Amino acid sequence: MTTKGTNAETTMTEVGATQKSSIGVAEILAWSSRNGVFVFTALLIIAALVFVDGFASLINVTDVFHRAAPVGIVAVGMTFVVISGNYLDLSVVAQVATAGVILIAVSNTHGIFIAMVAALMAAILFALVNGIAVGVFKANAVIVTLATTFIGLGVLRYFSGGSIFFGPPDGIIKAFGMGKVGPIPYSAIVLLVMTILLSILLNRTNFGFLIRSFGVNESATRLGGSNTALIVFGAFLVTAIAAMVAGFVLAAFSNTAVSNDGVGYDFRALAAIIVGGTSVFGGRGSVFRTLLGVIFVSVLTNILVLSGISFGYQQIALGALIVFAVSLDAIGRKVAR
Amino acid sequence: MVTAESEFGPVLIEADAITKSFGGAVAVDNVSISVRAGEIYGLVGENGAGKSTLMRVLAGILSPDQGEVRVDGKPVQPGARAAISAGISLVHQELSLVPEMTVAENILLGSFPTKVGFTEYRKLRQIAADALAEIGVGVDLDERVGRLSVALRQFVEIARAVAKKPRILIFDEPTATLTPAETDYLLAMLRRLADGGMAIIYISHRIPEIFSTCSTVAILRDGKLVRSSSIDSLTPSQVVDQMVGRELGLDLATKRTATPGAVVLDAQGITAPKVNNVSVQVRSGEIVGLGGLVGAGRSELVRAIIGADDRTAGSVTLTHNGETITIGSYQSAVRNGVAYVPEERRIDGLALSMSVEDNIRLPNRKELSVAGFKVGSKTAQVAQLLADKVGLRPPEIRRDVGEYSGGNQQKVVLAKWLGRRPKFIVLDEPTRGVDVGAKAEIHRLVKEIADQGTAVLIVSSDLPELLELSDTIHVMRDGHVTGTLSKEEASEKSVMSLASGETIVRSS
Ligand SMILES: Nc1ncnc2c1ncn2[C@@H]1O[C@H](COP(=O)(O)OP(=O)(O)OP(=O)(O)O)[C@@H](O)[C@H]1O
Ligand SMILES: [Mg+2]
Repeated sequence: MTTKGTNAETTMTEVGATQKSSIGVAEILAWSSRNGVFVFTALLIIAALVFVDGFASLINVTDVFHRAAPVGIVAVGMTFVVISGNYLDLSVVAQVATAGVILIAVSNTHGIFIAMVAALMAAILFALVNGIAVGVFKANAVIVTLATTFIGLGVLRYFSGGSIFFGPPDGIIKAFGMGKVGPIPYSAIVLLVMTILLSILLNRTNFGFLIRSFGVNESATRLGGSNTALIVFGAFLVTAIAAMVAGFVLAAFSNTAVSNDGVGYDFRALAAIIVGGTSVFGGRGSVFRTLLGVIFVSVLTNILVLSGISFGYQQIALGALIVFAVSLDAIGRKVAR
Repeated sequence: MVTAESEFGPVLIEADAITKSFGGAVAVDNVSISVRAGEIYGLVGENGAGKSTLMRVLAGILSPDQGEVRVDGKPVQPGARAAISAGISLVHQELSLVPEMTVAENILLGSFPTKVGFTEYRKLRQIAADALAEIGVGVDLDERVGRLSVALRQFVEIARAVAKKPRILIFDEPTATLTPAETDYLLAMLRRLADGGMAIIYISHRIPEIFSTCSTVAILRDGKLVRSSSIDSLTPSQVVDQMVGRELGLDLATKRTATPGAVVLDAQGITAPKVNNVSVQVRSGEIVGLGGLVGAGRSELVRAIIGADDRTAGSVTLTHNGETITIGSYQSAVRNGVAYVPEERRIDGLALSMSVEDNIRLPNRKELSVAGFKVGSKTAQVAQLLADKVGLRPPEIRRDVGEYSGGNQQKVVLAKWLGRRPKFIVLDEPTRGVDVGAKAEIHRLVKEIADQGTAVLIVSSDLPELLELSDTIHVMRDGHVTGTLSKEEASEKSVMSLASGETIVRSS
């Protein structure tokens, strides 16, 4: 959260790129970084429908959404941290696992209501530590959340001993994990509801406005009379609650939970956010874009799986996609000025 | 219609039929100018007339839709680097230094001298020192720019342009942040550079400066060149009329109606970095001015008063309708009716990549929402009203603030706060970069809010402005108040004699 000012870039434009009035490659790339996800997702789905055997079945499509839901829920929440200009929240790795383990372990002993309250407390605690370190002490979000991942996983492993927790075979958790409305799994509905709620929060409320404003100019937002520490905490809290919900959904899938459950969620959520066109520089983006990013990444993964491409190559493809999307974002920002 | 002045050298730079539009809007429309060696060429026009755009075309930062730029009769290749090697250098309207880097590094930013890939720091310091010596400004090469006053930063910016060894030097409103003494210094520097054979293009909204310094003046209006002629063939009021395109019925001396009432703001013993035990009171309906040289601690004082920066000692209270509250944090100040128009609009005042409406919404968000949810229609309505009130041009509240010209951006900062009917407002350089007509309008607005009972504290380096608006002036030097002048006692002379004692620039 350092160079929020515009000085450095003004300088770059002065000595570097010249703005062209005719439409050049840079403009096309910039446009793609903002709107590409719409076109690419559509193209990808069409391509999959035409070329990939087994994609166009109802079972496959609902399965794609079902699998995408936990990461998707984390991603729509983490969009708030990204738009606030604090890059990302790595500690979702620990948060997802913590929520799942608490849900299963505590509901076995104290019932599901107490379990959910306990998980909520844990989520708030994560947000408090992240929010205070980043919002009050202005520490770097990447490093702080890397550290809270360690702390969170450490505590979780200490209490769980690294063992797997099983829910009761006929419990409500399992029922939720298997549940469907018609062909649509509950998990996909949760993703959709979270997207709509968070989208309203971001676009219609003062809180969401302050998140965006803070992402654009921290100093002007503070001098506009707002509590910036609270804004940062709020962004982390939204993420933590989304990660908690994701942890619940994930635990319900298999009716089990273990401290490794959240591994990879940080990166996959960020991938969806960036591919959706939310800027890692803060200020610009939306929750619906993230949902589209989730769909894009999931469909892509699904195509790779259906085509029998191995996991290693899938990782390479996802990594390459991120490098591409982040570069587009950076170019778009440069051209926009 | 350029008059050939025999005293000047050959034409160095020509802009031939330049046209530049953004989206559908034409910012510069078929403009041709030419400037000779040794000439100081003044460029004037209202906010948004296209001055900065034209200069950015000359400096290769924007490429024109039509037309070409020639130096020594030869077309300049596109791009900022080509323009620099052709000898064109631009001092930007907005400061573009990196606060975290040192003075020397900033001066050579983007063109560090290197040897097999390593920065040659000795050479870097030498070039930077030479550039500062050429403009005659003494400042520590190793000081971080973020710690310098705005005026000194302005001079570092100039050194940066000079370090490129230009033959054509363009100044985009360099004096907007400077006090009279510093302005005089800068203008003398311009003459010296011109006498050395440079061609200088000089943009300012201060018409007297144009007349004291330039030999030619070009007037832009709505992107078109309406006149370019020798300065002797025009009078200041003709220049203003041609800028505006109509007779400007400036009612300069709007009369104040209210007399100051009870004390609203009471700041006692304020101490903060650069501020030493200063006490200030402002009454309801009163405009108190803070005079002094840039660097005297005026901005630091006002920021410490309202809590925008921490203070090490002192107490501040705000009294309204007999109720007195203590101001601690900036947030509580704003909540209790304090408004603040900061000095550095692009850093502290505006979110440039957000719309005018969103910028206005920021301090007014609570009033424009119900239970935390935005009321869209009301927000748009209020934003439009305020934009019209400050005379934003064009008055399109959905456009990003960053797309507006410098002066119009300043109007947005004012609009943000005016709607709040503040009990106490701090205005730090409220008309910086604003054109003559809009300035008169802003002065009228300031007097109007004072007449409605707001207590106003104003910092301005523009002495005539300070004298016209203030009922009382405290003059500061080195973080102390060195004297207080009533409206009758205040004059340019009395303010300056209290303010001086030392200047920030030393002549070489
Ligand atoms: N990047 C941009 N995108 C869109 N419009 C722009 C952009 N830059 C400038 N403009 C428009 O071009 C016009 C001319 O702007 P310019 O900055 O050249 O004015 P100016 O004469 O320098 O004004 P000022 O005295 O306020 O600095 C304005 O209407 C402005 O809104
Ligand atoms: Mg300008």
